[in-house]
Amino acid sequence: MAINLQKGQRIDIGLSKISLGLGWNPHEGTGYDFDLDASAFMIDQNRLIPAEEYFVFYGNTDSPDKALHHSGDDPTGGNSDGGDDETISVDLTKVDARIVEILFVVTIHEAVARKQNYGQVRDSYIRIVDNVTGQEIAKYELGEDFSIETAVEFGRLYKRDNQWKFEASGLGYREDLAFFVSKYFKGQIIK
Amino acid sequence: MAINLVKGQTIDLRKNDKGESFDLSSVTIGLGWDVKQKNGGFLGKLFGSGEEEEYDLDAIAFLLNAEGKIANMGRTVQKGNHNISMFEGDVVYFNSMQHPSGNIWLTGDNRTGAGDGDDEQIIVKLNNLSPAYDRILFVVAIYQGKKNHQHFGMVENAFIRAVDRTGKEIARYSLSGDATFNGICSMTFAEVYRKDGSWKFRAIGEPHSTDSFVDILQNYR
Repeated sequence: MAINLQKGQRIDIGLSKISLGLGWNPHEGTGYDFDLDASAFMIDQNRLIPAEEYFVFYGNTDSPDKALHHSGDDPTGGNSDGGDDETISVDLTKVDARIVEILFVVTIHEAVARKQNYGQVRDSYIRIVDNVTGQEIAKYELGEDFSIETAVEFGRLYKRDNQWKFEASGLGYREDLAFFVSKYFKGQIIK
Repeated sequence: MAINLVKGQTIDLRKNDKGESFDLSSVTIGLGWDVKQKNGGFLGKLFGSGEEEEYDLDAIAFLLNAEGKIANMGRTVQKGNHNISMFEGDVVYFNSMQHPSGNIWLTGDNRTGAGDGDDEQIIVKLNNLSPAYDRILFVVAIYQGKKNHQHFGMVENAFIRAVDRTGKEIARYSLSGDATFNGICSMTFAEVYRKDGSWKFRAIGEPHSTDSFVDILQNYR
């Protein structure tokens, strides 16, 4: 059964093939579409992505070790009715040995220009699914708690004693994707 | 979509607008870089008051015919004991800033990189170009880089980019700050070429160790 995660809650994954699903519903009425983006940072022990390609997002849908695959950008939330609109599938057996943590982040594209925050997005959530059985392992609703936030650090998979564990962080930020990229990448970022 | 040519150095967060088209009726090749503070150590910084080392990057365009050759090398001018060639030919560069057709020109020769944004621009009115021209190749080079012991690995904030008529960036190449650019003094950046009656853009990003575009030009004679 699904666990509705609280901040800081840890769960043993005990699985190798999982999916991170991000879902929301399209904007009804006037105004801009809500464009939520799911991203993953594959972080090494220096707290950095070892190379640009270990940042998986709409602009880079596969990690070099083939452990992560992003389904592609949904700019409106219209990809599915009620289901996941963007997914990042994870095969933990393929993760590059340098990677000690995979951090998942959800941001709202151009939130500032469009004057948007999670409080306005309908039925948004992020969840983890067992890819073998399709069963939901954990789910985090992004709604009311984030009335002013434009980015959420959802959680992280981390390696402990050669086992992958998941920790829900659920930290809201009034930042954009570039903020997170700048934390884990020491290069130029083009916005 | 905008093409970002730098691997391992730059992350482009812009959305890839699928099916986005560029207005190639006019293309601007922009070249930008910054002057670099000379690294003089603590005392140098204290007393040297930040002496700047100058880099002179140049943007060059080759107009090629259907055979991939430069048809007109331009006229030769005698200057002192030197023959300086390639005036008013199919090579647009700092000594011959405007093509005879008037449809492609260099806005000016910036020798220091002073100023923000594009320091040099080559503008091409592709739609007005004679059918004799099939392809335009863009090259960037550090003027006298070898003599001055300069290479792209040392230049600060250098980039070359292509922008369409509406100001939309088609491609950008960061040229600086990367050890993989050590010893690299020039680069074949990109080309625009005719395809099925319209113009296409292709990013190339091929680095060369030579500091003289004349060496690169030999492949198109």
